[in-house]
Amino acid sequence: MNPPDPQTDLFAEPPPPRPGGVGGVGGVVGTGLGVGERPALHPAVWRAHELARPVATDGRFAIASGHRELDTQLPGGGWPLGTLTELLLPHEGLGELRLLAPALAAVQRRATASRGLMWFDPPAEPCAWVLATLGIDLRQLVVVRARPALPGRPTRPARALLPAADVLWALEQALKSGEVGAAVAWLPARLPADALRRLQLAAQAHEGPVFLLRPASEARQPSAAPLRIALGSAGPDRLRLHLLKRRGPPCAEPVELWLPPVLPELPITELVPPPGPLRPLLPGGRDPGLQAA
Amino acid sequence: MFWIAIHLPLLPLEAFCATLPQAAGDAMAGTDARPVALVAEHAVVQVNAAAAARGIRAGCKRATAQALAGDVLLAESDPAREAAALRAVAHAALAFTPSVAEPDPAEPATVLLEVRASLRLFGGPVALARRLQQALAPLGHRLQLAAAPTAAGAALLARWAPRGVDALHGPHARDRAALAMLLDRAPVTLLPAPRAAIATEMVAMGLHRIADLRAQPRSGLARRFGEGLLDLLDRALGDAPDTRRWTVLPPLFEARLELAARAEHTEQVLHGAGVLLARLVAWAQGRQVRVGRFVLRCLHERARQALVPPTELAVELAEPSVDPAHLQALLKERLGRLELPAPTLDLLLLCRHVVAAPAPNGELFPTRASRAEGLLRLVERLRARLGDAQVQRLVALSDHRPERGSRALPLQGEGAQPALPALPPGPALLDPTQPLHRPAWLLPEPQPLGEAADGTPLLQGRPLRVLAGPERIETGWWDEHPVQRDYFIAEAHDGALVWVFRPRLPPPPGEPVWFLQGLFG
Repeated sequence: MNPPDPQTDLFAEPPPPRPGGVGGVGGVVGTGLGVGERPALHPAVWRAHELARPVATDGRFAIASGHRELDTQLPGGGWPLGTLTELLLPHEGLGELRLLAPALAAVQRRATASRGLMWFDPPAEPCAWVLATLGIDLRQLVVVRARPALPGRPTRPARALLPAADVLWALEQALKSGEVGAAVAWLPARLPADALRRLQLAAQAHEGPVFLLRPASEARQPSAAPLRIALGSAGPDRLRLHLLKRRGPPCAEPVELWLPPVLPELPITELVPPPGPLRPLLPGGRDPGLQAA
Repeated sequence: MFWIAIHLPLLPLEAFCATLPQAAGDAMAGTDARPVALVAEHAVVQVNAAAAARGIRAGCKRATAQALAGDVLLAESDPAREAAALRAVAHAALAFTPSVAEPDPAEPATVLLEVRASLRLFGGPVALARRLQQALAPLGHRLQLAAAPTAAGAALLARWAPRGVDALHGPHARDRAALAMLLDRAPVTLLPAPRAAIATEMVAMGLHRIADLRAQPRSGLARRFGEGLLDLLDRALGDAPDTRRWTVLPPLFEARLELAARAEHTEQVLHGAGVLLARLVAWAQGRQVRVGRFVLRCLHERARQALVPPTELAVELAEPSVDPAHLQALLKERLGRLELPAPTLDLLLLCRHVVAAPAPNGELFPTRASRAEGLLRLVERLRARLGDAQVQRLVALSDHRPERGSRALPLQGEGAQPALPALPPGPALLDPTQPLHRPAWLLPEPQPLGEAADGTPLLQGRPLRVLAGPERIETGWWDEHPVQRDYFIAEAHDGALVWVFRPRLPPPPGEPVWFLQGLFG
């Protein structure tokens, strides 16, 4: 079936001026259309075989992720603003912070919008100087942790408190206030059915990206987030991303990208095999394993 | 001189309902609420709407009231409680003029303000009266306003509340002649009498209105009813001087509320605390300062053996404010986390930290300063609910020991200095082209790992492949925590990189050799 003629297309509008191609880190990213494509639809509508353009919030569509292979696959050419982005990890420590760091640093450097970052319930202690090396300004970062379980009898024994209740409430308050530049939250596996829906609605008042990091077992559960990516490791310093859900055609192949390296290119010393167990010296000072070393 | 009088006809009842656990609005207005009647000298003096609907009237005895409504709540009127409530109204009125008269026992439940100097600022008596009503609305009292050129005259008019006069700002007399005309129509029962029988005597004599009184010869009135009556009439009409003492605002705020029933849960304390907060806001507005920190003290019932020490709840604001809604929200979050050791009888609210700077301007276009305020308010709300230690910021310290190089400190308000000197990392670490060779995630305690037969570390039973190392960190000999470790970067079975170490000197056999310190995030 032929695609509809643009002259009689009900939704045809004059194409918006395209500010330029896919930008670098921190730049304004333009539309996902290439040269010579048909005139644009209303921004909230997209054709199924094309990537969507996110609805503009104060003139910006998306924030570049800093990894070129990923930006070409994301609708809008970067992480979307004002909606949830769900990242599913088998365990922490895959390189997710190195993946997000360029975008988070760019949010902090933006001239006009709010700049603070808020992290909710990270799984371990973040190392402050590693974050500073990655470009994140520590003075604009707030870490919010859930309350520890109170010792003694609870004040309301009849109502069991969800472990994620604190994090969900704090995240919703931060998104609704609109004062936070970007929010990154680590949520547990089991969430109430409407929690993600409420967060998606609250994120519309928010001007920056929202990242939810959840266990990979949730990949098969439905979610209200418009962008869902499953992360996996493809070797040291290399990350594989499966785009499970996005506003556009399903992504056939996973995206693999190189992360900012952790391993030195020239190792600190040569790669020696791990040393053997140390054996005690025999009396007389002789090492029994000396001839085997 | 131009006086505005604010009369609170239901002050004793409202002051009592403030000590009840439910909202005052429910107790006062709703006809399906619990009936409440205030008793003084064995007779009912005031009733709320629910009690009036059941038929209880002022003047009936206790037993009658209980027969008409079985669940009526009878309470004694307490002059101290009513004085405290009236004081809060006076404090709120001090935001409009510096001259608020001290309460006079001859004019019960009335606050008098001299506003000649403030009329021009607030745009006239009508606008001023409207703003007064708005400012006093949070205190939750029924108000009757009147304005006159004399203090006693305004007080009389406020107590009168005649029909047919504009209810918004009550009877309003611009000059003495108009005041005399208004007062002439007022009934004689308005005048305070030393004996209760005086009003009935006057009515029996045929003197129904004050005009009739003024028409009588003065010597006769003085002989029958006493000099005080004549003196009051003269002061009201402006023929005699009326000197008043002015109220002075206390420099520190302290208010006490005795709860009607023992409060065993923090929700029951919430309403009483809200009433005290409204009084605090009235005082702060009168002094034109903003609240920086306040303390709520709950005084408990004496336990069988010993005195239970009072529970103190201090709420500190990162950004001083007088917004009653914001203060209420913060207090509500804190109260929700508090657990009372014993039933509470009294609440005490203290405020000693105030900030005299003016509030920042509301700007048309939000700038960095106003954004910072908004973020501070959000952080305050999070701290109120989750706890001060749960909202943190990260600080990098100059220490090679990984567990000490990075610290998470509670986020203080603006202007607070960090407790530890946070030195920025050296320039070599900030070079983005060099590989990181440090993990982004650090475990709070190094986790021991198993060891395979050939010495490779095991993570969850699978061997790790060591990719880079060793890097020796040997430091801290001056502390009790010396560190002598060889660090390696290893790859787990699924490709994730981890940071493991083993001590430089081999540990005694039986103790773990390899430890996991960090994950490369």
